Amino acid sequence: MSEPRRGSGDSENHDENENGGDRTGSAGQAPPPSSGGAKPRPDASMTLITTMLERPLEPGYQEAADRRTAGGLPAATSTRTVIVVVMAIITGFLFAVAAQSLRPKPTAAAMVKDELVSRIEGLQTHGTAQEASIVALTRQVHDLEALELAQAGGSDLTATIDSLEQQAGIVAVAGPGLILTLDDASSAGGNANAGTRPTGGFESGRVSSADLQIVVNGLWAAGAEAVGINGHRLTTTSAIRFAGQAIIVDFRPLTRPYTVTALGDPDTLRSRFDPSFGGVYLSSLTKEFGIRSNVTAGERLSVPGAPGARLFVAEPLGAPRGNAGAPSVSTAGPPPTTPTTTPPTTAAPPALPSGASTP
Amino acid sequence: MIPVLGLVVGLVAGLLLDPSVPVWLQPYLPIAVIAALDAVFGAVRAVLDGIFNDKVFVVSFLSNVVVAAFIVFLGDQLGVGAQLSTGVVVVLGIRIFSNVASIRRHLFKA
Repeated sequence: MSEPRRGSGDSENHDENENGGDRTGSAGQAPPPSSGGAKPRPDASMTLITTMLERPLEPGYQEAADRRTAGGLPAATSTRTVIVVVMAIITGFLFAVAAQSLRPKPTAAAMVKDELVSRIEGLQTHGTAQEASIVALTRQVHDLEALELAQAGGSDLTATIDSLEQQAGIVAVAGPGLILTLDDASSAGGNANAGTRPTGGFESGRVSSADLQIVVNGLWAAGAEAVGINGHRLTTTSAIRFAGQAIIVDFRPLTRPYTVTALGDPDTLRSRFDPSFGGVYLSSLTKEFGIRSNVTAGERLSVPGAPGARLFVAEPLGAPRGNAGAPSVSTAGPPPTTPTTTPPTTAAPPALPSGASTP
Repeated sequence: MIPVLGLVVGLVAGLLLDPSVPVWLQPYLPIAVIAALDAVFGAVRAVLDGIFNDKVFVVSFLSNVVVAAFIVFLGDQLGVGAQLSTGVVVVLGIRIFSNVASIRRHLFKA
């Protein structure tokens, strides 16, 4: 990019200057080069762009400078005059005001959303802390129970309580088993087979709570001794349910992928689960809807204990009141039998008082 | 240096006062800012060229801002506001770029 403005003495600059002065309507006309009658410029038809690129400075500056030099004054005026300072202040003010008023303001919806997100996160942290304290308190209660029993010196109930607690799913257990991972189809929604499956209003490529129920029931039926989903232990009173688009296990929402951990002999579990209804259902989900599933065996898997396995409303028949706790749960029977057989939803969780009070 | 101080004073004043711009004026603010930038860079270049003139600066500043705003206003009335805004931004942007390039040559000789 050349600089035709510098050295304001020679004739070419003056000539350009005049062109700049009277170019009120002549941007499209080629300025005739005056230096020695040269040929017209080859890019004469594109002078608009050339003018813009080569002479971006206001031609008025040069004119004024020329007038001042002709009048015997220095070419440039001072930059410290009042009007320049005033203009500078106005410019700064304009910039600041424009930046502030044009910056996108947070909308009301965004603010509400932020607040909701923070509340959800806070409550989730609170819930996690409460759960941890439940686990700690349960352990304390367990220890105190053992101590009390040992001090009472009666018949050895510790083993009974332990086995009942294991059956009720209160204590964490570990052992060999299967890990079954379910995830939504990689392109959820873009499936030609949509509609062939009662999905309840969302894409057929997504894992639904009914899918998880069938798979978990299949695992129970195949002989799983303890089942957990994404770190939530399934007990006799657990429910796998739907809330909107989220799958909920015991009122805790799950996030993809859904990892079902089932403890039991891996080979037996597999050989029983694969040909069962749950296994066939799972493979058809994978084949027809693209739901990703993966079964792996593990030698040392662990399933956490359920945070609370208490009956809140129901009372065991024939048992003395006040003896609530782990033994009362055992009236529900062994785990493999109860959570099965009732798709699409298992029984209402007992934590709802209305579930038991309504006739 | 004094004009730079004035610019800073104006910026701080605008940030502190935070006046509310009427809604009908808001579409012209970006164009006005670009036009003002063009005038400011032109003035800086003129200072470096040694031909600065305060009256020319003020007149070019005001006319730039007013004409740019008027073009956008006209475009809005004719239904081609976005296109005309783009045109103004392109033209002024080119001018700003070449002015800044010239300033750069002055300052860094490169």
